Amino acid sequence: MSEMVNIMVDGQKLKVPEGELLLPVLLKNGISVPHFCYHDALGPDGNCRMCMVEIEGQKRPQVSCDTFIKKDMVVNTKNENINDVKRKILELELLSHPVDCPICDQAGECSLQDYYMEFGLNEARRPKEEKKLKNKKLDIGRNIILDQERCVLCARCTRFTQEITHTNELAIIGRGNDARVSTMPGQQMHTPYAMNIIDLCPVGALTSKDFRFKQRVWFMHSSKSICHGCAKGCNIYLDHNQEKYKSDTIFRFRPRLNHQVNGHFICDEGRLTYNQENAERVNEFYHHNRIITEENALSYLLRWLNDLKPLLIVSPSLSLEELYVIQILAKRFELDINAYSEGYIDLDFEDDWLRSKDRSANLEGVKKLGIKMSKDELIASLKETTCIINFNHKSFIGADLDIQALLAHKQEAHFLSHLFENYKHKELILPISSYSEHEGSLINEEGILQRYEAGLHNDKKSLLELLHAAISTPDTASQVWEEGLSEVLGIEYEEIPPEGKQL
Amino acid sequence: MITKIVSKNFETENSHTLEVAKQNGAYRSIDEAFTKPSYLIETEISNSGLRGKGGGGAPAGAKWCLATRAREMDNITTSSYLVVNADESEPGTFKDRQILEFDPHLLLEGMILTCYAIGANEAYIYIRGEYKFFAERLNEAIAEAYADGILGNKVKGFDYRVDITVHRGAGAYICGEKSALLESLEGNRGHPRLKPHKPSPEYYFGKPTLVNNVETIATVPFIVNNGAAAYRAYGTEKSPGTLLFGMSGHINNPGIYEMAFGESMQDFIDKIGGGIKNGKKLKAVIPGGASTPVLSAQEVKEARLDYESMKATGSALGTGGMIIMDEDTCMVSALKNLLSFYHHESCGQCTPCREGTAWVDGIIANMLNQKAKKDDIDLLSDISKTMNGKTICVFAPAVAMVIDGFILRFRSEFEAYIEKSLGEAHV
Amino acid sequence: MSFVFNETHEKQFQGLLPRYPHLKALVLPCLWMVQYQEGYISAEAMAYIAQKLDVPQAHLYGVATFYTMFNLEAIPQYHIQVCKTLSCELCGQADIIKSIEEETGLRVNESNALFKLTEVECLGACGGAPMLAVNEDYHENLTPEKTRSLIQRLSQ
Repeated sequence: MSEMVNIMVDGQKLKVPEGELLLPVLLKNGISVPHFCYHDALGPDGNCRMCMVEIEGQKRPQVSCDTFIKKDMVVNTKNENINDVKRKILELELLSHPVDCPICDQAGECSLQDYYMEFGLNEARRPKEEKKLKNKKLDIGRNIILDQERCVLCARCTRFTQEITHTNELAIIGRGNDARVSTMPGQQMHTPYAMNIIDLCPVGALTSKDFRFKQRVWFMHSSKSICHGCAKGCNIYLDHNQEKYKSDTIFRFRPRLNHQVNGHFICDEGRLTYNQENAERVNEFYHHNRIITEENALSYLLRWLNDLKPLLIVSPSLSLEELYVIQILAKRFELDINAYSEGYIDLDFEDDWLRSKDRSANLEGVKKLGIKMSKDELIASLKETTCIINFNHKSFIGADLDIQALLAHKQEAHFLSHLFENYKHKELILPISSYSEHEGSLINEEGILQRYEAGLHNDKKSLLELLHAAISTPDTASQVWEEGLSEVLGIEYEEIPPEGKQL
Repeated sequence: MITKIVSKNFETENSHTLEVAKQNGAYRSIDEAFTKPSYLIETEISNSGLRGKGGGGAPAGAKWCLATRAREMDNITTSSYLVVNADESEPGTFKDRQILEFDPHLLLEGMILTCYAIGANEAYIYIRGEYKFFAERLNEAIAEAYADGILGNKVKGFDYRVDITVHRGAGAYICGEKSALLESLEGNRGHPRLKPHKPSPEYYFGKPTLVNNVETIATVPFIVNNGAAAYRAYGTEKSPGTLLFGMSGHINNPGIYEMAFGESMQDFIDKIGGGIKNGKKLKAVIPGGASTPVLSAQEVKEARLDYESMKATGSALGTGGMIIMDEDTCMVSALKNLLSFYHHESCGQCTPCREGTAWVDGIIANMLNQKAKKDDIDLLSDISKTMNGKTICVFAPAVAMVIDGFILRFRSEFEAYIEKSLGEAHV
Repeated sequence: MSFVFNETHEKQFQGLLPRYPHLKALVLPCLWMVQYQEGYISAEAMAYIAQKLDVPQAHLYGVATFYTMFNLEAIPQYHIQVCKTLSCELCGQADIIKSIEEETGLRVNESNALFKLTEVECLGACGGAPMLAVNEDYHENLTPEKTRSLIQRLSQ
């Protein structure tokens, strides 16, 4: 633990750890210092020269990514001299940079744009006709398009493949202003984490083929969510927008920093699960293939609960709140619950970083709440009932031949967010919101309890709201916690820290 | 004027062979030096005031100290490395090749003594790729030395190992910069490293390493044989010893001539160089390889060839390779030639150099093509300011100072080209 | 059609191994040996060296493209590299280029069946300016006549 010392930055006193690198400490203290090659996950590289600051006593401006904090240091990040230096270095970055802003996806989240507006605002002193021509639309695999002309050669992407994934697909080739980022000719990105370089790239040199030209970033809202692709529970930003006459749609997931869970990155497959989330929804209540009202649907539901003894099948990706309310329901009507989830296990998906073989989001939550999960218990319960109510458990359907046989003549009611084939032919269908549309909490495979917020504003009712209308169980997440969940987990809902709590 | 410290065997027939070299005293210094503690060599080098001859002129003894002290502080029992910089790519510089061609055993002897002094057992000669002939000369000399028991596990029978390996570069001026050289030697692109915040040795794969120019190491046998005072008898107080000075361009007798520091540049050009070709008048001299600011003929008259005097003129002694330009030389074309060179050789790692060298090359090209703009001279000076003092290595500052030097002394020629450009534009 | 070191080069490689503390340091010597064996450095050769030295292929590609002297494509038998830096320019490099153009019909950066003509930066032969290199051999103190004779000799 380094000693805390006083330094002066732009006339203000700061208490900072001695001996640490200056740039990240300045950034952490909310002082904006332009930079390209430095990144918290990769460290400094010293090549962009944008992070220059004035240090009293030093003749020349210093790069703050290679300066270490000394007691009583006096630093200037924004006076006339250093602003001129920053402006000149930025000018050089922009010298050969193509004016692609109108067609570049990075616009709105581009460091070049941001810095130019902050301290550039100068006219170009060299015509763009003299810029160096390079390759502009290289498909380097895994949904990544490389534009070598836009690249500022900060080397973040090459360092990512060298130091983080150790897959070494990228390198800087050539020399001088002919230098460019490239793969080995004929080869492509193959790491399952490749798309992270799109986020790392501070400019529009690396863009997502999946997101290309679909949406301007300033129209999107970012919600703090959690990827439901596996049990790692990686934190994401859910970027969405509701265009005119359309429903609120997710345009992409981006990683959200969580030092406890996923660090700065997410896997490509998880990133692309937004497509599944956007997939076709169920919009109506159905009874035997006829559209009915919500009121009718809920009365059918009550009849099932009162007269029959349905087995409750729950998805291991439901939120803790949803699971808890289903438990209340089960207790009230003396019903069995089962969360049998073998169908979610994918051994090929597992690796030693952010991909879990368990493709469900909340199996730990299921276990913590003591909900049954075994196949034997499922088969036993199935034999004793004539119907099931399935709460959004996707992999359960058609999973196992034994189970399929037992389901053959049972009646099925389904609460579901996204449709499956022939769903309308089931006895009762009730549409519910998905995780992108309501808030909730999950426990990941390491036992970390995390909250996620509601993202999209669509007119779907949540499971909690529907059950509340039917049987008056708590209708909001905080209500559920108040009425028992906080006791089970030993923590209050509001006390769950942003990076989650290890239970 | 001519001295014969490192060049004493250059004119001897077959001087590159071991037989002839031994006849002229090669490797005799080892016999006594290896019986004494190794730090004595370092002390002698420090006392001699020997300065690095690769262009920087930094005191060699201080550099050696860093390598040995680091090894002690690191507490490692394995040795450090010696790397000889034979990348000689500075335009106007062609002196190290003389040693490689005519007295390779002198270099090898110097390397053996240096290895002993700094506790190294492995040494590399990083030689520029284009010097194939000289690499072969070196390899022949090395083979002879191994066969004769001079190199290998027991240098001349002493219980000390020195192994020397020639490592060829492949065409990159920046690999003459010592940290880029080591990157290249490690199997990477030749990107210079960030400079340490306190005096530090260089590192090769994490071990302390001494990087010295060919001529610097080739001077070590003389100092070990004759003592620091004998070396100090030559040159000036602050620039003791000699240098293989060079002349090329519009000079009657281009070539390499060893001289003590402190001689008059004008005398060198007139007496040794034989004056300007074709009876022309002198206009300008680039004193020490392309990366030193140009001097006008008037400044040449008063210049003396030592580090301090050259610094006082606002230029630098560099490698001592003078490029002589006569009265008909277009200075704008001369600058274009150099800026093309720098544009081609920038490694591209950091922004000011990568973009700056390309930009200034373009501006000068426009000037020569009569497409200049009114403020192009000020623009060049402005870019030069951005390139100076803000990069990872000294490549860009050198370019900046070269530009500044040309504009300062020959501004009118640049203005004339701008006039022509604006005139054209108005037509 | 994959690449493998011939016997001589493999022997050379083995001889160099103990001289370096790390396999990676052999990148440059290996790239040279490839170029001597094939005349240029192909993708297959790079894959071979990458595996031999346990370095990533992209890294090797980055190194090979950094240096001027490595050919990544086959070139004609004689690569004529005329030095263009200051001392050579001052001493009449333009005339040398012209004499080559007249003798071969090639302009700078052009190739025919026998020759490739390029301009290169300072070769460290300023005392013998103007000069050129044919492959790796220096020819200094040139005049247009000497240059023409040289080209004629090579053409035989």
